[in-house]
Amino acid sequence: MSALRTWLVQAVLIFLTTESIGEILEPCGFIYPEFPVIQRGSNFTAICVLKEKCLRQYDVNASYIVWKTNHVAVPKEQVTVINRTTSSVTFTDIILQAVQLTCNILSFGQIEQNVYGVTILSGFPPDIPTNLSCIVPEGKNMQCRWDPGRETYLETTYTLKSQWATEKFPDCQTKYNTSCMVSYTPVYFVNIEVSVEAENALGKVSSELINFDPVDKVKPNPPHNLSVSNSEELSSILKLTWINSGFGGILRLKSDIQYRTKDASTWIQVPLEDTVSPRTSFTIQDLKPFTEYVFRIRSIKEDGRGYWSDWSEEAHGITYEDRPSKPPSFWYKINSSHTQESRSARLIWKALPPSEANGKILDYEVILTQWKSLSQNYSVRGTELIVNLTNSRYIASLTARTKVGKSDATVLTIPSSYFKASYPVVDLKAFPKDNKLWVEWTPPPKSVSKYIVEWCVLSDEAPCTPDWQQEDNTVNKTYLRGSLLESKCYLITVTPVFTNGPGIPGSIKAYLKQAAPSKGPTVRTKKVGKNEAVLEWDQLPVDAQNGFIRNYSISYKTIAGNEIVVNVDSSHTEYTLSSLSSDTLYMVRMAAYTDEGGKDGPEFTFTTSKFAQGEIEAIVVPVCLAFLLTTLLGVLFCFNKRDLIKKHIWPNVPDPSKSHIAQWSPHTPPRHNFNSKDQMYSDGNFTDVSVVEIEANNKKPCPDDLKSLDLFKKEKLSTEGHSSGIGGSSCMSSSRPSISSSEENECAQSTASTVQYSTVVHSGYRHQVPSVQVFSRSESTQPLLDSEERPEDLQLLDSVDSSEEILPRQQYFKQNCSQPEASPDSSHFERSNQALSGSEEGLIRLKQQQGSDPILQPCGSEQRSLFQESSAAHALGMGTDGQVERFESAGMETANDEEIPKSYLPQTVRQGGYVPQ
Amino acid sequence: MQAQLPQRTLLSFALSVLFLSMARATRGCSNSSQQLLSQLQSQANITGDTRSLLEPYVRLQNLNPSTLREGCHRQPAAFPSEDALRALSKPHFLSTVYVTLGRVRHQLGTLRQQFVKTQDFPELERARQNTQGIRNNVYCLARLLHHPLETPEPTQAEPTRPSRPTTTTPSIFQAKIDSCRFLWGYHRFMGSVGRVLREWGDGSSRSRRHSPLRARRKGARRNRPSASSRSPAPRVQVPR
Repeated sequence: MSALRTWLVQAVLIFLTTESIGEILEPCGFIYPEFPVIQRGSNFTAICVLKEKCLRQYDVNASYIVWKTNHVAVPKEQVTVINRTTSSVTFTDIILQAVQLTCNILSFGQIEQNVYGVTILSGFPPDIPTNLSCIVPEGKNMQCRWDPGRETYLETTYTLKSQWATEKFPDCQTKYNTSCMVSYTPVYFVNIEVSVEAENALGKVSSELINFDPVDKVKPNPPHNLSVSNSEELSSILKLTWINSGFGGILRLKSDIQYRTKDASTWIQVPLEDTVSPRTSFTIQDLKPFTEYVFRIRSIKEDGRGYWSDWSEEAHGITYEDRPSKPPSFWYKINSSHTQESRSARLIWKALPPSEANGKILDYEVILTQWKSLSQNYSVRGTELIVNLTNSRYIASLTARTKVGKSDATVLTIPSSYFKASYPVVDLKAFPKDNKLWVEWTPPPKSVSKYIVEWCVLSDEAPCTPDWQQEDNTVNKTYLRGSLLESKCYLITVTPVFTNGPGIPGSIKAYLKQAAPSKGPTVRTKKVGKNEAVLEWDQLPVDAQNGFIRNYSISYKTIAGNEIVVNVDSSHTEYTLSSLSSDTLYMVRMAAYTDEGGKDGPEFTFTTSKFAQGEIEAIVVPVCLAFLLTTLLGVLFCFNKRDLIKKHIWPNVPDPSKSHIAQWSPHTPPRHNFNSKDQMYSDGNFTDVSVVEIEANNKKPCPDDLKSLDLFKKEKLSTEGHSSGIGGSSCMSSSRPSISSSEENECAQSTASTVQYSTVVHSGYRHQVPSVQVFSRSESTQPLLDSEERPEDLQLLDSVDSSEEILPRQQYFKQNCSQPEASPDSSHFERSNQALSGSEEGLIRLKQQQGSDPILQPCGSEQRSLFQESSAAHALGMGTDGQVERFESAGMETANDEEIPKSYLPQTVRQGGYVPQ
Repeated sequence: MQAQLPQRTLLSFALSVLFLSMARATRGCSNSSQQLLSQLQSQANITGDTRSLLEPYVRLQNLNPSTLREGCHRQPAAFPSEDALRALSKPHFLSTVYVTLGRVRHQLGTLRQQFVKTQDFPELERARQNTQGIRNNVYCLARLLHHPLETPEPTQAEPTRPSRPTTTTPSIFQAKIDSCRFLWGYHRFMGSVGRVLREWGDGSSRSRRHSPLRARRKGARRNRPSASSRSPAPRVQVPR
């Protein structure tokens, strides 16, 4: 009872729950149709019907319905309120594949509430499937294919229906696919009817029925156990055997056989009419001996209906051997280092290619026959034979041998050592074509037995190792049958071979394929000038050329300038760049070009010269010449005017050591013959002669003079004991001429060692005849130096001479050693006056000294004579020039006599230059 | 005029129904009797070969010894002899073949139950399908010859070999032997059918009715209660 109560309670609860959930889930309305599927481009109308209960609950009606598609409100133009509970919406030309359509109400006038929703699917009804075809692979179920037509955009089911007249088979269904494999094994020799039915929400269509016997759609399995066997009797046949596919021998199959050589890629077709009858073996003929062949086979129903099977597995077979079909290529090389009586020959031949060997070559037989002598037989396994031959002519024959037989013999004539080859091939050409290197030539006029084509790679790194091949005499164009490399230079040689020996070989270079050089030429300067530079470079090594160098290009530029490119022929190895700027840095880069491109070499820089070659010389030489000329002219001028120059710059100073005490008496005749002097001083000029009295004034010693005096004294002491009045005078050694002043006079009087020499001061300076003969005393050459150092004084004197002729001459005598430079301007005149007075005193003093100091006498006499001479000249009215000349010549004579310079350079104190007498 | 229209309408309707029934009847069949005959001959050749079914069965059932094999080679009563078949008219022949193969198919189905796994004896299923295919071609040929198949009477067993009572449950070995004999009989029957059909193709059927052999065995045929004997079908020239 309790259990019943419990059950009832549970039932009530479940009922109430269900009711409540139903109440909750129950929508306010519905959309019809509930699962719309429409055809694209067609119109569609949906209606939304609200329940009365909702109308009351939410106080709405159909006018409150809002339609939405994919959450977007539908325009009101598409909406129609049919009645109080129903609203409809119409769509035209729906193109979207799936559209969500919802019916909503505005409860209480503003709250949107979803009532119901549906998904509209659009698409197309299926097209009628076409091109239905079936295939029955052997051992498998039948599979049919069809063309479904247009895309439906809807789920479309294709059902393959098949049936006999008396039985239907299970359908084969597929979605979206265009093929289907049935679940049963078709029965052969029974026609079956097949169709395919396409169906989706918008329609169902069926294809045309096809009725066929499945055996006519069979695709057999490929034949198997294909085997190949050869025949020892016939080296050109191979026999194939195989087993056809299953069907237990039900079906008669014909075969399709193809074969090829092992290395070939294309198949050779056995004519189908030869294999039309069902068979399981076949013999293939006209094959090459000792050649490996590959076979394959497939089958189809004898009547040709159905499908070809796949190809069988390939089977290999080798035809039996035969004797070689051709003799080997045969050539020889004579060793260059042979003696006079014998020579070494290297006979070489090419191994026959398999297509000509027709079997395994067991050995080669070489027969050497000397002229009119017995022959020698050699059996060689390799492809060369080195034999020693005499200088005679030989005939060599070569045969190749297989286990079936020997080839024909190839004969070669090895001429005697004295054979002269002739007749080369002409017009030899080599060119690449179709990735082969072809050689073409014109045969020589003489009948040729064959041609030997040799080639090797030219390289700087490896020797030329030739390869070769033989061509028949009818051939004049062939390609090199070797593994040639690209970008390598081949030296090809063609030698015609005549019956009596080889002809003259012809050679040519060629490339299989050219490329750009692997490196560019390295350029350098050979010569650099101001506006041009000569560049030079080396030819590229053949390994770097990679082709025939067609031309070079030279690019050069300055740092800021434009690049200039010049093309140069490949035969050149130097080039001159012209129109360059001087003293400019140029960058040069050079490239070598083949037919396939170029390669730049390293960049090179050079700087042009500032001057052109010879330009410096052109400047320097004329300048030097001009300088030399000027110098020469100057020298000549000086030479010509040496007297004048000497007079101004370097006047002769009588050597005191050569002086003689002249007869101070005007009546004393001159001791010396002055004729020569007259000649020397032909112009009458006479060097200013000054008589400088240098006194060693103890009372008023001038520091310099005293110093000099001391030095002079020392020298005097150190001399051989000669004494001189001059040398003993301290003023004499002074660098300044002594001035005949009162003080000086005193100095002279007080110094017993004072030596005075007189100089005849001739006033004939510059052709001016002095009005007064002045006799003065001189004891040093320094006054001359002073005048030399102070030319202005001379000039000044010159000017003064014009007004007062005597004054300039007297200035020397007036120079004061203590104040040589004081009041230079005024002192001239002053000194002149003093000199005049001084000179008179000097004369008196001189006389006294002569009497007191006999040593001074000669000097005094000389001076006196000079003076007398001067005065005599003056008295005679002679020109001053002549007087001076005479005077100087006397001095010169003196100098010549004792090899002492004529003049006394002021700073030059020669040994004995001031030697007092 | 008003009377003619209904008459024409009725005629058109009758013809349409006739064509539709014909079309329905021949649907799925080849419309070439020569092809059908060729197919039947091919099928007879296939099924007449003992390698297609009997030998696999013998190997599978270990009935290989020659003594056992010889025990199989007995004509079972279920299959008419070749002479009997040759003596039949074409419609009767076709009917006989159709009916006999129906029984064979059933028997093969029974035989299939002996094997737990059908893949162990795929030839059996293949033979069932072939049997049904032959029946389909026979049906089509009969239709094409305008001789709708009638259910033939069971073939009369040979008088010298009484059939075993089917009520007794044979032993397994005996069942194998019986199945072996059945299969041998089936192959032999199909071989006979093939030969008869070949004669059809050779045109010997024309003179067959007048051959001494046929005349000699005609009496035996007449003894059989056959509907076809009562209403012989018209002869149709089988296209070559």
